[in-house]
Amino acid sequence: MLVFATSDKGGTGRSVTSCNVVYRRALQSSDVCYLDFDFGSPTAGAIFHINALVSGVPERGLHSYLLGKANDPVRYDVWTSSDRDSLRGRPPGAGRLVFHPGDSGGGEFSADRDVVRRCVNLLLRLDEEFELCLVDLSAGRSYATQIVLAATATPELAAVPYRWLIYHRWTRQHIIAAANLVNGRRGIIETGAELGHDRDRLSSAIRFVRTAVVDPDSTELAGLRAAQIAWLRDCNTDLQEIASGRRVGRTQMLGAVPLDPVLQWREQLISDNDVLTRHIANQATVDAFNTIAKRLFDDSAWEGL
Amino acid sequence: MKLQPRQQILEIWQATARTSFQDGKWIWGGRDSSNSISDAEQLLCLMTPAAGPAVFKLDRPDETSDDVLRALRGLGDSVEIPRLLIRILTEYMERYSAADGTPVFAGEEYFQPPPGVPELSDTLRTMDVVDSFSTSVALSLSTIGFLRVFREVIKREDLRREVEALEALASKRLSAAMVGLLRSFTVSVFDAHSPEGRALCRTANQSGVPERQIIEDLRRALREINARLRDVTIGSGAGIAEDLDNPNRLFECGWSWGIVRKAPAIVTSEQVGEQREGVAQAAPYLYFTVVALDGIAALFSERTRLLGLLNEEQTRLAQALQLRWDLTQSYWSTIATFGSGRWPLEDIPWRTTDRAESDYFSLLVTSIVVQDLVRRRAPDAALSRVGQVLNELANRSRITRRPFELNDPALPMHSPGVRIDLFGADGDTETTLRWTVSDFAPLLLQRTVRIAGLMRDTERRGALLGLADDVWDHLQLRRIAGEPGTDLWDQPGNVFSQLPSISDHPSWYYTRRVVECLVTAADVVGSPPLRNERLAELAGDLLSEADHRFDQELLRGSTEAGPAMRSTLQSARATLRRAREIVADHPGTAFVLVSEVLRDLDRLAAARSDLSGGL
Repeated sequence: MLVFATSDKGGTGRSVTSCNVVYRRALQSSDVCYLDFDFGSPTAGAIFHINALVSGVPERGLHSYLLGKANDPVRYDVWTSSDRDSLRGRPPGAGRLVFHPGDSGGGEFSADRDVVRRCVNLLLRLDEEFELCLVDLSAGRSYATQIVLAATATPELAAVPYRWLIYHRWTRQHIIAAANLVNGRRGIIETGAELGHDRDRLSSAIRFVRTAVVDPDSTELAGLRAAQIAWLRDCNTDLQEIASGRRVGRTQMLGAVPLDPVLQWREQLISDNDVLTRHIANQATVDAFNTIAKRLFDDSAWEGL
Repeated sequence: MKLQPRQQILEIWQATARTSFQDGKWIWGGRDSSNSISDAEQLLCLMTPAAGPAVFKLDRPDETSDDVLRALRGLGDSVEIPRLLIRILTEYMERYSAADGTPVFAGEEYFQPPPGVPELSDTLRTMDVVDSFSTSVALSLSTIGFLRVFREVIKREDLRREVEALEALASKRLSAAMVGLLRSFTVSVFDAHSPEGRALCRTANQSGVPERQIIEDLRRALREINARLRDVTIGSGAGIAEDLDNPNRLFECGWSWGIVRKAPAIVTSEQVGEQREGVAQAAPYLYFTVVALDGIAALFSERTRLLGLLNEEQTRLAQALQLRWDLTQSYWSTIATFGSGRWPLEDIPWRTTDRAESDYFSLLVTSIVVQDLVRRRAPDAALSRVGQVLNELANRSRITRRPFELNDPALPMHSPGVRIDLFGADGDTETTLRWTVSDFAPLLLQRTVRIAGLMRDTERRGALLGLADDVWDHLQLRRIAGEPGTDLWDQPGNVFSQLPSISDHPSWYYTRRVVECLVTAADVVGSPPLRNERLAELAGDLLSEADHRFDQELLRGSTEAGPAMRSTLQSARATLRRAREIVADHPGTAFVLVSEVLRDLDRLAAARSDLSGGL
C-alpha cells in the first residue's frame, strides 16, 4: 500500500510522526519503506539517526532519480545503517525498514510528464517489494503533492491501493489550514480531480492525524490551575465544533499523537527503550503510533460515514 | 443534590452496553424476555438521553463528548455507535412487524394469566396494548429525531439507504401507534347512582356535602370538558356526548388497556397496515391513561416541533390525540383537586370507580395533576400541596420509612407490584388478563424532581430536592449486583430484606423509568438557578458601596502610588466589572466578588487610620 503524508503547514511533526509510524509498522513485522519527498529540506535521515544523511545524500537521491539524473536511487536499511545503538540490528520478528533519502542540494521542481513516469515506475516497484511505502511530502500545496497525485491517477497505478494522511496541530489555525489543504481551492481534492482522480474515491482515502495534542483531561496537566483547565476544556469543545464544521472532525481522523517532550525537543524515533527503561517518552505516544500503524491497514477505519 | 444526572446516566449507559452487546451481538430481552415493550424499553435506555440534553448526543459523531464515548466503548467508537444503533433499531422495527408489514404492539410476557388459569392463549398473549403504543411513540420519535441529524453527516450511499429505510419503518410504527392510541381512548358514562357513580362521588366529596349537591357540583365543574367531548369524532370514545345530557349521568375519560371493542377504524392516508378488531373494555384504566398521556405529550414537545418530526398526516393524528390529552388531563385534574377543602388527591389512597384502591393510584393521579399544574403555571402553594402528597407517599410506601418486619402491606407494591386486572368488553368473559406494575419508586422520583424544578420558592424547592435525594438513595440500593444485569435495575430485596431476591437479569421496564428520572433531573439542573430577591437587593447595595469606596480611592490619587497599590486597584476594578456583569443572574456570586473588593479596599483604609491615631 502507498501512503502519502503531508501537512497543512511546516512544524506539525509530519516527518517525525511518519517515521515513527513506519518504525512501529516494521516492529509489527511488516516490510516497510520510507521515501523522503520533502524536496526543499530532506532531513528525515536525522530522525533515523543516520549521521551521513542528516541533510540528505550528496548524489543519487530521490531528486536525481525523478529528474532523470540517476537510474537507481540509493537506499539504506535503517536496521544496519542507523548510528543509534537501540536501532541497530533488526529486532526479532520485525520486518525490513528501508529509507530512501532525498538529495542534499535539491529543491522544488515541477511535475512534467517524465518526472511523473519515473515516479510511477518507482512506486510500482516499491509497492511490490514492501507492504507499506510511506511517501513523506512537503508541507502545504507543493510540487511533490502534484507529482504523486498525477502518478496515482495513471492507469499503471490504478490497481495499487493508496491512502493519504494529513497532519495538523490541534489549533484553530491549523484546523482551518488542514481543511483548506484538502477541500479548499487548489487543494488535494480539486487538484486530484483535475488530474483524473475520482473525487469521492480520493476523498474517502484521506484521513487526518492530529499532532502535539494536549488532552485537557490528562493527568500531565495536573500542574495547571483549575481555571486554566476549565478554559482549556471549553477551547477544546470549540475546536471540535470548528473541526466538525470543516470536515476535519473525529470521523475523519485516523489518530491523534499527544504532546511528548521527546518529539518536541528532539525529533527522533521513540523506541520501547525510551519509554520503559529511560522513562523519557510517554507510553501514550507509542500507543498512538501503534494505533495509526494498525489503522492504516484496517479497512473499517476508512469506511467512514 | 445527590442526583448527578450526567455521571449516573453514563454509568447506566456503560452497564446497558455491557449487558446488551456481547461479542458483536445485541442481546434482546432481560428479566421479562423479549417483547415489543421490553425491547423498546431497552433501546430507550440509550435513546432517551441521546434525544435529550445536548451532552448525550450521539447523532454528531464528531462532537460526541469523550466521557460519553468512554461509557459506550463496549458498543464501538464514535462512528460505530450510531451505525450500530441504526442496525439494532432496524432490527427492532422489523422484528415487531407482521408478515404483511403491519406493526405489532403485543404485550406477550407482560400479560399474565388471571388466578386459576395456568396459561394464556396465544390470541390473548398477542393482543395489542396501550403500553406498547406509548413506548413506540417515544422510541419512534427519538429514532426519527436521531436520524434527521445524523443524516446530515453521512455521505456513503449504502448508509444513506439504511437511514432512509429505518426512517420509513419508524414513521410507519409511529403512525400505527397513534392510530392505536386513538382507538383505545374511551369515555365511560354511568348513572350517578350506579356503583361507579357512587364511588366517584365519594372520592370527590371531601367535605361531606349531600349527594345531590355533589352530583350537581361535579357536573358543573366538568361542564367544559363535557362540551368538548363533542369534538371527539373519530376513533373510540366518539358519539358518547349525547348520553351526558341527562343530569343524572357522570363520566370518566381516559385510556383502556388496549383497543376498545368495536372501535371504528381510523381513516388515514398513512400506511399503518391492518387495523385489528379490539376487545378491551370501554372504561379508562388509570395506569394506561397515565402511560398514554406521557407518550402523547412527546408528540407535541418542543423537540418534535423544532425538528419537524411529524409529517402532515401524523400532525393531524397528533392533533386528534392532543384533544383527548387535554380532556383527560383536565378531567383527572379537576376530580383530583375538586372542592374547596381537602383535595380528593390528598385523601390517600386513591379509590378508582371500580373500587380498587392503592397508594400507587394516588401516585398516578398525582402525576396527571403535576402535568396540569405545569400547563396552568400554578402557584407554588398548589405545587407544594402536591409535594406534600408525594412526601407522604414516600413514607407510606416505606421508601423513606422503615418497613415492618413481618407482612408490611406496602411492600408488595414494590415487588411483585400492583396487579391490575384487564377485562374484555361487557359480556366477554373470555378476556381476562393481568398486568403488574412495580415502578412506584422511579415514578415517585420523576414527579418529585419535576415539581421541584417548577418551584420558585428556594426553601420549598430545597425540601423537595431533599425528598428526591432520599428516593434516589433508595433506588441506588436497588441496583442489581450480580451478573448479567450488574448496575441496572431492579433488585428490591436489597432494601427490603423481607422480599425474596429475584433474578439478576435486568428489568428494562424499570431501568428505562430510572433513566427518564435522570433525564428530567438533567433538565432541572440545566435550567438557570433560582434568583432570590433578598440576595439580589443585598448584592446591589453592596456593589454600590464598593463602587463608591473604589472611586474615593481613585480620588485620593492612589493610582500614582507604585506597583503594589496599582495592582490592588486594577484587580479591584476588574472584579467590580465582573460583579456588575453577573449581578442580575447570579447575585450570590456577585456578592462574594464584591466582598473581596471591599476587604482589599478596607485594608488600605485601616492602614491609614493608624496615622490618625487609631490602634
